[in-house]
Amino acid sequence: MYRAETRALAHSFEQSPGGVAGHKRPTAFAFDLDGTITRAELLPMIASELGLEPEMRLLTELTMAGMIPFEDSFRLRFAILRTAGLERIRSVVAEVEFDPDIEEFIRQNRDRCFVVTGNLDLWVQPLQERLGCRFFTSTAMTDANGHITGLDTVMRKNVAALELKEHFDRLVAIGDGFNDVPMFDVADIGVAFYGIHSAPDALVSVSNYVALDGKSLCRLLNTL
Amino acid sequence: MPTVKHAVIAAAGLGSRLGQGKPKCLVEVEGVKILKHLLAQLGDVEDVRVIVGFEEKAVISELKQLGRDVIVVRNPNFRSTTTLHSYTLGCQHMSGDCLFMDGDLLLEPSSFQRFLASCEPDSPKLAITRTKTKDAVFSIMDGDRIIGFRRDEPTEFEWSNIAWLPVRTFDTIGNTPVYEHLKAFLPIASHEIVSYEIDTAEDMRLALSHTELFGLKALAS
Repeated sequence: MYRAETRALAHSFEQSPGGVAGHKRPTAFAFDLDGTITRAELLPMIASELGLEPEMRLLTELTMAGMIPFEDSFRLRFAILRTAGLERIRSVVAEVEFDPDIEEFIRQNRDRCFVVTGNLDLWVQPLQERLGCRFFTSTAMTDANGHITGLDTVMRKNVAALELKEHFDRLVAIGDGFNDVPMFDVADIGVAFYGIHSAPDALVSVSNYVALDGKSLCRLLNTL
Repeated sequence: MPTVKHAVIAAAGLGSRLGQGKPKCLVEVEGVKILKHLLAQLGDVEDVRVIVGFEEKAVISELKQLGRDVIVVRNPNFRSTTTLHSYTLGCQHMSGDCLFMDGDLLLEPSSFQRFLASCEPDSPKLAITRTKTKDAVFSIMDGDRIIGFRRDEPTEFEWSNIAWLPVRTFDTIGNTPVYEHLKAFLPIASHEIVSYEIDTAEDMRLALSHTELFGLKALAS
């Protein structure tokens, strides 16, 4: 079994413009992907394409209600969706719409914007190519032919946030879901996003700001 | 471009003196929530920030429903802090000047627009209004400049709780009443507007007898 050869998604800070070893840079922005940058949630989109919407919805509800830990839930979702085949999933993912203001902000600030998502590296690769910033993701294992054989790591967002904190003085986290709470916990400033749906109370309770759309979110980020 | 680019509305308080059990910005006058009325007066201001605390979920839902692209700033310590603390949180990371106002005001639109139009960069200004109640912050004037505040003895004008100030005015976290903090910055120019603050049931009765002033009909849905 091989680990995926997707080091394009890996994050080499040595290459970052302006990054000098031993010197921290001022501010990084860590964005959740689903429902924050994207205007639809990716996993339900894929499930819908496969006719597995009810199964996915049940799993999402149980996870949101706290009955299944996020990591176990992700493993189950992975098990359901992997049957689709990588190319099919990628073609669905590639079509997802971005919030135009957030997309523009990331383009303008590529070297200090990061996407921190529980999604699988191989699934979201088309989006990494579209956005051109670094992604922290869950990772897959593949066989010699590049087929996914299993999960390697499941993203814990606080781990990614702590890594960013090693390279930046200040971390601003932007997200809309329960699994963003650990990232907000590490971040210096948390912005809960009410874009496509309201953020859960648990996330709002650990945030400094609530942004109601992408336009005002980016106006705020430009002042931070 | 309008001079006033930033506005901070303090809407975190309990509003216990009014006793409606909800944030005062959500109280309705003639079927219009005060928050909607205030945001309508700030239509030309690019960056509006609303400070929430008490019943924050209800205020955030209302803002989302109003569809105005404001930034919500949380003041989780609203029970033990004053409006001054909310103002400091509201203008953090901003630069230049900002309009600061309470979230429990009813404004006569044309006089407020004249106040906005009179604001100039780096030139602090406080909006004052004719004294209406015994429980207000009264302005001691020298010509059209405010040289002092007092609570005990009424003067001709009270401070309307609307201020155009450099954001550095609130660069340290304090917890006194706002007018106490502003004393260190006096004298400050003033500009008269027509406004009613809703602190108590009596304030509400007074405002209700002047509802024609506030342009609410156009906003009622």
